[in-house]
Amino acid sequence: MTTGARMSFTTAARRVFDLSLGEMLWSRRTIFMALVVAGPVLLALIARGVEVFGMSALRVNGRPVPGFSIFGVMIWSLYLFFIVPVLGLFYGTALMADEVEDKTITYLFTRPVARGAVLVGKYLAYLACTILVVLPSVMIVYFMLVPFSQLPSTFGNLVIDLGLLALGLAVYGALFAFVGAFFKRPLLIGLVYTFGFQQTVLALPGSLKQFTVAFYMNALVPHVMPSDGVSSLLQSMFKENPPLWVCLFWLFAILAGFLYLATRVVERKEYILEQ
Amino acid sequence: MSTKTRYFVAISGAILAIGLGTGLVASYMGFPVSVFSTAAGPDELQYVPADAAVVAYANIREVMNSDLRQRFKDIGPTTDQKNEFEEKTGLDFEEDIDSVVLAVTGSVANQPQKSFLVLGKGRYDAARLEALAIEHGAQATDYQGKRILMHTDQNSSGDPNHEDVAVGFVEADLVAFGNLAMVKASIDARRENRNIVSNNDMMKLVNELDNSNAWAVGRFDAIAQQANLPSEVQAYMPQITWFSAAGHINGGVSGQFKAEAKDEQSAQNLRDVLGGFLAMARMQAANKPALQQLADSMILSGDGKTVALSFSIPTEVLDVLESLAKGRQGVVQQ
Repeated sequence: MTTGARMSFTTAARRVFDLSLGEMLWSRRTIFMALVVAGPVLLALIARGVEVFGMSALRVNGRPVPGFSIFGVMIWSLYLFFIVPVLGLFYGTALMADEVEDKTITYLFTRPVARGAVLVGKYLAYLACTILVVLPSVMIVYFMLVPFSQLPSTFGNLVIDLGLLALGLAVYGALFAFVGAFFKRPLLIGLVYTFGFQQTVLALPGSLKQFTVAFYMNALVPHVMPSDGVSSLLQSMFKENPPLWVCLFWLFAILAGFLYLATRVVERKEYILEQ
Repeated sequence: MSTKTRYFVAISGAILAIGLGTGLVASYMGFPVSVFSTAAGPDELQYVPADAAVVAYANIREVMNSDLRQRFKDIGPTTDQKNEFEEKTGLDFEEDIDSVVLAVTGSVANQPQKSFLVLGKGRYDAARLEALAIEHGAQATDYQGKRILMHTDQNSSGDPNHEDVAVGFVEADLVAFGNLAMVKASIDARRENRNIVSNNDMMKLVNELDNSNAWAVGRFDAIAQQANLPSEVQAYMPQITWFSAAGHINGGVSGQFKAEAKDEQSAQNLRDVLGGFLAMARMQAANKPALQQLADSMILSGDGKTVALSFSIPTEVLDVLESLAKGRQGVVQQ
C-alpha cells in the first residue's frame, strides 16, 4: 500500500468487505435491523407461549390456524413485504451515501483501489450482515411455530423461504445500491418505489408489474398469499406465476445489472462534499 | 474482522446450521406422528381397517345439543314417527347415539355396498335388538368372541355380488354395521392391532384436525370413484391426492376443507382458481349483507402442495334458512 501499487479488484473488495462488515454490524443501523427482525421472533414467542397454555395463537372462523400457516403469513407479511425491502433500502442506499455524508469518501477514494471495488466490498458486507441477522431469525420463528411432527412435510418450504429471502436481500441491495449511488435523495425514491409503485402495479392488471422485484419474488413463495385487505385481495387476484426459470433469470439479471450500474456510477461520478 | 464480529458470525452460522441439520434429519427419517404425540381422533378408529380410503366422524351428541340443532328441532320428524321407531328398537337417536364413524375401504371402491363400515357409539339394548332382528329373519353368530347379527336377502341369493348385511356388537357401547366381511375385518383390525391408527398418512390428516365435531379425511381418488363422475369431468379436476374436511357445529357452522395436490404447481393453480372465485364472490355479495358475511368468512390458505379453504356460516344466513324451512313446513301442514 505504501508503494502506491494498485490492488486487484477482488483483493480490494475483500479488504473493504472485512473493514465494512464490522462497521455495519456494530453501527446504530444494526439496532434498527435487530428491532425489525426481533418483531417476528417476539410474535412467535407469544404464539408459542399461548399454545403452551392450551390455547390457539390464531383462530380463523373459530378454528385454530396451524403453526406452519402462521409461519407462511409471517414470511409474506413481515419478511417479504416489509423486512427484506426495508433492509435492502436502508443499507443499500447508504453504502456510498454514508461515506459522502460523513465526508469520509475522500479517504476511500484516495487509496490505490478501484472505486467499484469499494462499492462491491461494501455490498458484500451488507449482504453478509443482513443474511446473518435475518435468516437465523426466520429459523427461530419456524422452530417456534411449527410442531416437530410437521418438520418432514414443511422443511422443504423453509429451505425455499431461506433461499428466497437471501436472494431478495441481494436483489434489493443491488437495486438500492445503484439508487444510492446515482440519485440525490435515494431514500425517498426507494420508499416511493418499494411501497408506492410496486404495491400499486401489483394490484393492477397489465404488464407494468414486470418492472418490479416483488413480481418475481412473489411467484416463488411456497405459501399462499394472505388476502386480508383490499390491496392484498387485488394483488392475489392479479397475481401471475411466471415459470421458475423466468423468475430466477430476471432476479439474477436485476442483481447483476444494477450492481454493475452502481459500480459504473461510483467509478465515474464526481462526488462534491458539501462544506 | 474483530473478535466480537467473529463471535456474531459463528453464532448466526450455528443457528442456521443446527436448524438446517435438524430439518434435514427429520426429513430424511420421516418422523411418524406417534413419535411426538398420542394418537389423535376417537377410540373407535381402532376398529377401522388400515386400508380405509376415507374415514369420517361425527360427534352426534355435540351436534344434537348444539344451539343450531335446537333452532331447527321443530322441523325434524314428528314425535309419532320417532316413537314408532323407538318402540321397535328401543333406540332414541337423540339420546342414545353419541358418535358415528364411517369408513370406506379402497379395495372394493367400485362396489359401494361392500366397502362401507359404520361404527356407532352409544347406548344399546343388545338383547332387544337381537330379538327384533331374529324376528325379521336375521341370524346370530359369534366371531372372535363378538356377537354378530347378519341378514341374508332371500331374493338375492343367486346374485354373485350380493353380500350379507351384518351388525356386530364389538363393544358394550359400540356396534359395527356393514356387510359381513367388513364387520369381521373391523373386529380383526382391533384384535390384530392393524388398523387405521397405524396408517401414518391418514393419521397425519386426523392429527391436524382440532375442535371439530364432524370431519372426514381420505384419498381424493376414492371419492371421485364413488361419485362416478364422467371421465371428462375427472380429467379437468385438479390433481388432488389427499383431502380433509372438518366442521364445528354449535350456534353456527364453521369449517375448513383442505386438499393436498400431487405437486406444488397443481396446488398453486388450484389456489389461484379458488382465489379468483372468492374475489368474484365477494364482489357479487357486496350488496347482500348476509351473503357478504359468508363471503368474507371464506379464507383461502395453504403452503406448498396444500390448499385450504375455511368458512363460517353467519347467523344471518341461518336466520334466512330457518325462516325458509319454517315457511315450507307451514305450507305442507296446510
